Amino acid sequence: MTGVTRNGLAFFLAFGCLAIGVESEIARADGENDTDFFEKRIRPIFVERCESCHSASKGKTNGGLALDTRDGWKKGGESGIPVVPGEPDKSLLIHAVRYDADGPQMPPKEAGGRLTASEIAAFTEWVIRGAPDSRTAVPRGHGMTPEEVRNWWSFQKIRAVSPPVEASSKWARTDLDRFILAALEQRKLSPSVPADKRTLLRRVTFDLTGLPPTLAEVEAFMNDSADDAFERVVNRLLDSPAYGQRWARHWLDVARYADYYDANPKTRTASCELTEAWRYRDWVVEAFNHDIPFDQFVQHQIAGDLLPSPTGEDVYPAGLIATTFLSNGVWDRGDADKEKIISDMADDNIDTVGKAFLGLTLGCARCHDHKFDPITTEDYYALAGIFYSSHILKDLGAKGAEYDMNRTPLVPKSIVARRKEQEEALKAAQAKLELLDQSQRYVDMAAGGTILVPIQFLSSPDSRGTIGPDGVVTVDGSSRQDSYTIKAIAPAGDEIRFVRLEALRDSQLPVQGPGRGVTGNFMINRFTLFVNMPESESAPTSVKWSSAKANWEQKGFVVAGSIDDKPQSGWSIGPYVGCDHVAVFEIAADMKIPSGALLTFIIDQNHADEMTLGKFRLSYTSVAPTNSISNVPERTELVAGCERLKVELSVPLPVAMAVEEGGMPGGLFPKIQDVPIHLRGSYARLGAVVPRRMPRVLAGDNQPAISSGSGRRELANWVASNDNPLTARVIVNRVWQWHFGEGLVRTPSNFGKMGELPTHPELLDWLTTKFMDEGWSLKNLHRRILFSATYQQTSQVPREMLPQDPENRWLGRFSSRRIEAEAIRDAMLFVSGQLNSIAGGPADDDFTSLRRSLYVQTARWDRSGYAMLFDAANPDSSTERRMVSTVAPQALLFLNHDFILSQARQLAQRLLAESPYDDVTRIQYAYQLLFGRFPRGEELEIARRIIITHNTEVEAGWTDFAHILLCSNEFVYLD
Amino acid sequence: MQTQWHLSRRDMLRRSGCGFGLLALSDLLSAEISPSPTAEADRAAHPFAIRAPHHAARAKRVIFLYMPGGPSHVDLFDPKPRLIVDNGKPLPFPKPKLERAKTGNLLASPWKFSKHGESGTEVSELLPHTAACIDDICVIRSMLADNINHTGAALQMCTGEQAFSRPSMGSWLTYGLGTENQNLPGFVVVSPAAVFQGAQLWASSFLPSAFQGTLVRDLKNPIANLTDPSGNIERQRAKLDGLRQLNELHRRDRAIDGQLDARIASFELAFRMQRDAPEAFDISRESLETQKIYGVDDPVTDMFARQCLMARRLAERGVRYIQLFDAPANNAWDHHGGLREALPKRCKAVDQPIAALLTDLKSLGLLDETLVLWGGEFGRTPTAEGDNGREHHPFGFTMWMAGAGIRGGMVHGATDDFGWHSVRDIVHVHDLHATILHLMGFDHERLTYRYAGRDYRLTDVHGHVVHEILT
Repeated sequence: MTGVTRNGLAFFLAFGCLAIGVESEIARADGENDTDFFEKRIRPIFVERCESCHSASKGKTNGGLALDTRDGWKKGGESGIPVVPGEPDKSLLIHAVRYDADGPQMPPKEAGGRLTASEIAAFTEWVIRGAPDSRTAVPRGHGMTPEEVRNWWSFQKIRAVSPPVEASSKWARTDLDRFILAALEQRKLSPSVPADKRTLLRRVTFDLTGLPPTLAEVEAFMNDSADDAFERVVNRLLDSPAYGQRWARHWLDVARYADYYDANPKTRTASCELTEAWRYRDWVVEAFNHDIPFDQFVQHQIAGDLLPSPTGEDVYPAGLIATTFLSNGVWDRGDADKEKIISDMADDNIDTVGKAFLGLTLGCARCHDHKFDPITTEDYYALAGIFYSSHILKDLGAKGAEYDMNRTPLVPKSIVARRKEQEEALKAAQAKLELLDQSQRYVDMAAGGTILVPIQFLSSPDSRGTIGPDGVVTVDGSSRQDSYTIKAIAPAGDEIRFVRLEALRDSQLPVQGPGRGVTGNFMINRFTLFVNMPESESAPTSVKWSSAKANWEQKGFVVAGSIDDKPQSGWSIGPYVGCDHVAVFEIAADMKIPSGALLTFIIDQNHADEMTLGKFRLSYTSVAPTNSISNVPERTELVAGCERLKVELSVPLPVAMAVEEGGMPGGLFPKIQDVPIHLRGSYARLGAVVPRRMPRVLAGDNQPAISSGSGRRELANWVASNDNPLTARVIVNRVWQWHFGEGLVRTPSNFGKMGELPTHPELLDWLTTKFMDEGWSLKNLHRRILFSATYQQTSQVPREMLPQDPENRWLGRFSSRRIEAEAIRDAMLFVSGQLNSIAGGPADDDFTSLRRSLYVQTARWDRSGYAMLFDAANPDSSTERRMVSTVAPQALLFLNHDFILSQARQLAQRLLAESPYDDVTRIQYAYQLLFGRFPRGEELEIARRIIITHNTEVEAGWTDFAHILLCSNEFVYLD
Repeated sequence: MQTQWHLSRRDMLRRSGCGFGLLALSDLLSAEISPSPTAEADRAAHPFAIRAPHHAARAKRVIFLYMPGGPSHVDLFDPKPRLIVDNGKPLPFPKPKLERAKTGNLLASPWKFSKHGESGTEVSELLPHTAACIDDICVIRSMLADNINHTGAALQMCTGEQAFSRPSMGSWLTYGLGTENQNLPGFVVVSPAAVFQGAQLWASSFLPSAFQGTLVRDLKNPIANLTDPSGNIERQRAKLDGLRQLNELHRRDRAIDGQLDARIASFELAFRMQRDAPEAFDISRESLETQKIYGVDDPVTDMFARQCLMARRLAERGVRYIQLFDAPANNAWDHHGGLREALPKRCKAVDQPIAALLTDLKSLGLLDETLVLWGGEFGRTPTAEGDNGREHHPFGFTMWMAGAGIRGGMVHGATDDFGWHSVRDIVHVHDLHATILHLMGFDHERLTYRYAGRDYRLTDVHGHVVHEILT
């Protein structure tokens, strides 16, 4: 293994570990930085295999050599300096790990023995690279030196660059192409020829609208030989509403958008569900379709609630809706630790704003200074203060319970006020109606019957009852808890089936009664009747009640409570004091009370003092008292009024899950305020308070103080400024990625040290400058990219060309790719003729809906759905790009799911209906419809075999054929 | 490990930039990495192709018996005589800073403990069947987690992180190792009722979605889209043949074909899965006697018995990671109240099936290579909530492990006299994860994935392998 040469290295590395060999070669090609190599390959070996004996921090430096810091090996030990950068054969370290004779052999047997072949090779490669060591001498603080920070590409001002002048640039159509061509030529690579027109139309139509071109569109383009034919296609597509639906989805990935937490509509919890999220999605669609300048698009999402309405209204719905960007985030919903929810909200917001707009992983500085980028915890909490000074929730909810999200009305204040008035008017009218009805019911229920004139009234000794000739009993004296006993003789006449107790108002009582206290209310906990049969010595019989009704029952204190076994329950009449009430007790059917019987009523009133009856009367009837509501004009009017109001109020005011100014009520930081550093990210261990501001490395040391409001306005303006070196670059790079599959920077949400470097830095700056000069217009940016020869290249290149640029970093061809989950499903519905084009509004719950996939729900708690199976964005955090996985469950769905089979049937019907002649014509029609081209001879053969041989029924054969086409690679891959 | 999963031979050729000189080498490599030579297209199509770990693995697969809600350690595996002495007295040290319900007074376990097996490990009378297997079990009494709420704690137990989306342990392991049976999913989650935190617990997060757990909710219809509604297998085969012919014509002109090959292969795999998967999940193929031993058809044990028997069938067939949730309803082990009635009921439901699973695996020779893990997201307070319940308790609780590489019949670690804090040989959730990865052949610090500019791992920046419990 000694004497590894440079050429043998790749072989050697690859043999030891596949990943190493491959990665290191790429690293050479594209300038992947050495830090990666060191961090991934070398540092772990030092830690695991060397530092047990050579670590300054562990206090053990055998042979005087420390390998746990860069300075350690640079300083060397007793045997000298172990590494000569660039010279593996002169480096003692390499000899030692190779176990060369006549020298130290490291690591020794006691420390686990010889390194693996791949580890030795990695060390050798490391020395050849010049022994880059990213371990800083400074143990604390962020991971970049001041000089590195000054020179870091993405923190530099965007440069004004001119396109390279190319002499031999027949290929180049636009300035953009000159950048690409120069970079290709520099590497002795060449660009490819243009794609054929059919391929190009299919490519750009999917790219801009997420749908295939129609037959008519293909024909029109094929027959259009004008120079600007393609330009006009692009403009047509950019003008179509489908453009916004397609490109909004790209942004929603970045915005970690979800329609709901819970996929099941039956179990969603209203208070904390994202019921209004769709308004944000629709706003994004509109923003793309109307080409809202991207800087404004950014400002709206961070601080739209603080923007004035362009039409001068006192409310700006679009601004409020846009801040759903912040409120549709990921945090725990309920349970006990409310403070953690608030700090997770701030963290989610910082993380998402950082990744989405700035291409920085700011969230990493929550617990410690950023390991790689120049962002400190101080920077983090300076930003956190801004988000802590805003709130997303109306109410945190009780400990262990779920919270209530903000639902901010989207209508002018006058309408909100009017709505409030209407609500109050309705309440008042309903109360009036209730009052009217209960007094009417009293009149009805107390009518007729026979009054029982008591012969005796007993109460506690310090109160006294007076029995009037009309049977009315008036009680005065002490108003403490009491039991009244009333005796009467059953008169001859009607049978006693219903006993009535009237509670009567009286001007002598404090608030006119019927109760004796200042509330006027009373509570009858138990109403009992004992009967002594005439001429009988036997014990009295207790009457069983079969029901109890009243003209009015206070909420929670119903009259049934006065005949049950529970001593606490009972009948009260609040809030309708000062008027007459009646309760009717029905005697069980088997009880007969003969005339002359002695009746003993007991009215227990043990709820509280001052809750005893002041005036009442007992009576009875033989038939059930009616309680009809008569439609007096007053009532009719009231009912009509209530109905009118209810209809008006039944349409809820549109609301948004908007962010509002001011800290979270009930949280640790309830005001607009600066917040302290949270040591190791915990709100339980607070450090020094940091004034709210932007990250120093980008916005400088001398920033104006945030003097009013949370600071979101300032943040929005700073992020969306021409002077911010990141924001415009980041979106331009994203748009590039969405067109080409990969960005000019291949880590689109990380422009920091751990991100990749741009392949075409000048092109990125040139595009960014143009973009800002043209008012941050995305549609112009699309045109600039799509009109280029670069975009219009073929993806079909000779196989032998591929190894020269396997990942197509230099764009000498177009990269073919699988279309996304949404585009697959939408295309299927489109060709089957089933696509429902209704746009906007709440999402459909099931993927078997016929609307575009944008309008099928994404639920945070459900990963089992169709879209996730095809690599849709995980809405738990900002997604920079989608992966492409190919797994059997996808094929199972294509083969067996009824939704797919149903599209196949519909497509077959369509083919049969629209191409009624011979099989060949129909197969050709199918190919044009699905792929925009004619089938080749072999394809016709295969198609005919499927249609004819395998099935006797015409329809089944065509359904099979349609199904196969929908499953085919050509349908889901774009050239 | 970062890039291996998606490198087909052609990918490798393209990415290496070294041309065909490496061709033979890559063949060698694929032989080394996947012992059964698979076609390159298959490899790209199968993120689950077998891959070698960092070191020789003790365990080939994991069965995680998850008791959602948090089983009470002081009533099951961690006897505390002091609680009997001090029953009803207040906690003799400061209450935790963060309380959910107000901390009540100490509550002695209403159940008796006794020693079992040769090891003499003490187990509660609520778990007689598990107690009979105790010599195969290592009881860890010194678990520690960081979150007092279900969501955060369960996320930590399953993904290592409390608040943010991270790949679950099963995702990490299938990502790292692939799986042994290409005709079955590599990571299966069986949960008859919805689990509180849902899919996050088996999410792949930023790992490719192929590595997320496949949820089996309906025990009778475990995998979606597995049957051709027409039931006409010949017709489907004919369609698939036609499809393949068209796809091959399409591929012929295209230089970059790894993905296209993969997709062609995925349809063939799907066809095979239709054949094999139903059999794997079908416990009715077990003898009635076996079913009876697990407790199938006994209304008390039926549901978890079916889950355990399904787990054994999947383990036999090479599924890498199987997680069973005892979930007749949400958070079934969350005994804030009704402890005296509800805990025995839950124990009865799982005890016999779990013991049957351990015994069965052992008799089949599978226990040596299968790691079985039991526990919930935390334990419960030694103090009372109300008069018949216990609160959430992450500060000290019990889990147990058995099988591959685990020293049976031992107790590791201890809580204090009251069962409150873990005090000796503390095993944090991160340590548990590090140990599981170790048994599966991984250095937990090196099983990483680069995402958004950072190398992530299951244990984040924490975790130590608990060597003391390993054989």
